[in-house]
Amino acid sequence: MNKLKYLGKRLLMSVPVVWLGASMTWFIIFMGPVDPASRLLSEGQTRNPAAYEAAQIQLGLNQPPLQHYLDWMSNLAVFDLGQTWLLYQGSNVNALILDFLPRTLWLGFWSVLIAVFVGVPLGFYAGMRSNTASDYVASMGGIVWRAMPNFWLAIMLLTVLGSAYTLAAGDFFALNFDWQTIGPNLDSISGSPDLSRLDTVDGFLAATKKVLPAAIVLGSASMGNEMRIGRTAVLEVRNEDYIDLAKAKGVSKRALVWKHILRNALVPLVPIITSEAFLLIGGSVLVETVFGINGIGNLFYQAAIQGDLPLVGTLMYVFILMIVGINLIQDLLYTLIDPRVGLEGS
Amino acid sequence: MARAHETTSGTLLPTNSPAAVWAAIGAVLFAAQGGAFFGFVVGVLGDLLTVTPLPGAAFVTAVEAAVEQIPTLLSRDVIPNDGYWNGSRWVGTFLGLPPGLAWGIRAALVYLYAFVFAGWVILGYRLYRREYRTADWTPRDDMVDRFRGHKWGIFGLVVVFMFVVMAVFAPVLGPTTVDENMRNSYSNEITYWDSDAEAVQTTLVGEANLASQSRGDNPERVLPMEYDDFGRFHPFGTLPSGQDLFTFIVSGSRLSLVIGLLSVGLSAGIAASLALVAAYYKGRTDLGLVLASDSVMAMPQLLLLIMLTTVLSGTWLAEIYSGGFVLALIFAGTGWTYMWRSLRGPALQVAERQWIDAAQSFGQRPLTIMRKHMLPYITGYLLIYGSMTLGGAIISIAGLSYLGLGIAPPTPEWGRAINLGQDYVATGSWHISLIPGLLITLVVTGFNALGDGVRDAIDPQSDATTEDGAAGRGGGA
Repeated sequence: MNKLKYLGKRLLMSVPVVWLGASMTWFIIFMGPVDPASRLLSEGQTRNPAAYEAAQIQLGLNQPPLQHYLDWMSNLAVFDLGQTWLLYQGSNVNALILDFLPRTLWLGFWSVLIAVFVGVPLGFYAGMRSNTASDYVASMGGIVWRAMPNFWLAIMLLTVLGSAYTLAAGDFFALNFDWQTIGPNLDSISGSPDLSRLDTVDGFLAATKKVLPAAIVLGSASMGNEMRIGRTAVLEVRNEDYIDLAKAKGVSKRALVWKHILRNALVPLVPIITSEAFLLIGGSVLVETVFGINGIGNLFYQAAIQGDLPLVGTLMYVFILMIVGINLIQDLLYTLIDPRVGLEGS
Repeated sequence: MARAHETTSGTLLPTNSPAAVWAAIGAVLFAAQGGAFFGFVVGVLGDLLTVTPLPGAAFVTAVEAAVEQIPTLLSRDVIPNDGYWNGSRWVGTFLGLPPGLAWGIRAALVYLYAFVFAGWVILGYRLYRREYRTADWTPRDDMVDRFRGHKWGIFGLVVVFMFVVMAVFAPVLGPTTVDENMRNSYSNEITYWDSDAEAVQTTLVGEANLASQSRGDNPERVLPMEYDDFGRFHPFGTLPSGQDLFTFIVSGSRLSLVIGLLSVGLSAGIAASLALVAAYYKGRTDLGLVLASDSVMAMPQLLLLIMLTTVLSGTWLAEIYSGGFVLALIFAGTGWTYMWRSLRGPALQVAERQWIDAAQSFGQRPLTIMRKHMLPYITGYLLIYGSMTLGGAIISIAGLSYLGLGIAPPTPEWGRAINLGQDYVATGSWHISLIPGLLITLVVTGFNALGDGVRDAIDPQSDATTEDGAAGRGGGA
C-alpha cells in the first residue's frame, strides 16, 4: 500500500510543477520585453494600427494581464491550443503537434533503445572486468563519446555515411561499405522518416534506417552516462556483503552475475535512463535541425526563430508535460525494480 | 618563523628567506608578462562595458589604451610573425625566420611561460606548507595529495589550464588579430611577395582573405599548417571567408571561458545559498524550493535557452559582450537547479550535525550558522559540480551559436566555426568543422576529468555526478 501512496504523492506533486512551469512560460512570453503581437506581423503590417489591433485581439492581449493569464492557462489545461500565426499559417496547433510528435517519438524511442542496449552492457562489461585494459578502453571511449557535442557528431556522422568506403585487408578480404545500399534504399540519408508504412516490414526498416544515425547521435550522451553509472553500480554491488554470502552459499557464477549483481546494479540506472528525457528533448532541437527531421524540436526552433512566440509557449507546455510524465514513469519503474522505495520514512 | 629558519638554513637557498626568493621570482615572471594579464582583465571589462552608456566605459577604454603600452616580453611586437618574403629572405619576422616558425616559437614560449608560472605557484604552496605553516598537517593536505596521485584528474587540470592560457593570451597566440583579420580587414594592409610579378606588393587584408578562402576543393583553400598565397601562416587553415581559423578559435575560447565562468559562478552562488536555506529550514521551505526547481527543470534547458534568447534578443541586456552576458544570466537562471539538487543532499547531512544544534543554542543567527558552520562543508561539492557544469556550458554556448542564437554573428565563437564549415566536411576543406569540434570534445573531457579528480580527492567514497548528467552535457546540445 505504501507504494501506491508514494506514487500518489508523486502524482500530486507534479500538478504544481506543471502549473509553475506553464506560468513561467506565460510570463516569459507575454510579459517579456518582446511584444508577441508585433513579432507576428511583418514590417509593413506593424505600422498598420488596424492589423496590430486585430493581432492583439486574436492573442487576447487587449485584456488585462490576469484575465489573459487565466484564459491562456485554462486553454492549455483543456488542450485548446489555438492556431499558428507564422509557421504553417493558420493551422490548428493540436493537429500540428500530432503531426510532428510521432517523428520525434520515433527518434527518441530508437535513441533510448540504442543507448540502453549499447551503454548498459558496455558499462556492466567494464565493471565486471574493472581495471583491465578492456575496462580502460571502454571507459575512456564512453567519456570521450559523452563529451562530444551532439550537433558536431551529427555533422561528422552525416559526412561519414554520405560517402562510400572500401575496407580492405590485403587481397583476402574487402568490404564495401555504403550506408545508402545497406538494407532498404533511401532517397537521401537525412530527412524525415516515413512513418505511414510502419506496419509493413519494408516500411519499418526504411523508417528505422532513416532515423538510425540521428538516434545514435542523440543517444550518445546518454550512452556515456549509462556506461559510467553501470560500471560504478556493478563495482559497488560486487563489493556488497550479500555477494560474498551468495558465493559462500555456493550460488553458481551465472546466477550470481545475473540475479545478484546485475539486477541490483539496475537500480541506480533507472533515473539515468529516464532523465535522458532532458537530453533527448533538448538535443532533439539540434539533431533534428542537422538531420532535417520535421519533429517537434525542429518545430520549436523554427517557431522561435521566426517569432511565433505563442506557438513557442504552447510547445513548451507540451515539453513540460512530457518531462513530468517521464518523471512519473521513472517513479513507477523505481517502485517495480527496487522493493525498498516507499518503505523508508513511513 | 623560528622553525622555518631551522629547516631551511643551508637546505634550500643561500638566503635565509625562501619566501623572498620566491616572491622575487614571481615579480620577475609577472613583470615579463604583466601587460598580458592586465590586457585580459581590462579587455573583458571593456567588452562588457562598451555598450552600456555608463560613465565608466570611456575610462575603461582609456585604461585599455594605457595597458597596451605596458612592455610585455612575449608579445606580437617582440616576436613578430607577420612579415613578407622579398625574393631572397623573410623581412619583418622574428630573426628573419619563416612566419610559421616565428609563430610557433611565440606560441611555444607563451605555453612555456604559463607552465613556469604554474610551477611557481605550486612551488609557493609547497614552500608555505613545509616552511611557514604552523600546523604540520591539515585535512586539506590529504586532499591535495590524493589529487596529485590522480592521473586522470591531473590530465583534466592540464587540459583546463591550457584552455585558460589560450583564453588569457588569446591576442598573442593567434598568428594575426581579430581586429586586423576580421573586424577591420579592409582598413589594414599587408605586404606580400607576388610570385607572378616577382615583386613585393601591398594589398588590403580583406582582399587577401578573399583570395585564401577555404570553400570545398577550390585551389586557394588553406589547410592546417599551410601558408596562403600572401605568405601568411594558418596553423588551423582558413575559414570559408578566408579568415584565419586559429585566431577565430583562440578568440572564441576567451568568450566561452568568460561566459562559462560567469554562469557557473552565478549558478553556484544561487545553488549554494538555496541549498543552505533548504537544509537549514527544511520542511515547507525545502518543499517550496523542490517545487520551484522541479518546474524549472521540467522545461528542457536548451529549449528554455532558445526561448529566452529569442525573447531577450532586442533588449540592451543582449548587447553586452555580444550577447554573452545575457547568455550567462540565462545559464545561471536555468542551471542552478541541477547544482542545487546535487548540493541539497550534502547540505541536509551537514544540517543534521550536532555542531549546528550547538551553534543554535549559543544563539547564533541562522545566517551566521549557514555561512560559518555549513558552507565550508559543501564548497568541495561546489568545485566538483562547477567543473562539470562548465564543460556543459561550453557545449551549450557552442550549440546555440551553431543554431545562430546567443552570441551575435561577427564575434568569433566555436559553434559558429562548426556551422560555417559544415557544408565542406566531405570536401577538401574538412578542417573548418573538424578542428573546433575536436577542441570542444577535448576541453569538455578536461573539465569532466578535473571534476572527477576533485571529487575523488575530496571524498574518495562518493560517486557524485551531476544528478543526471544533463548539466554536464549542456542540456543535450
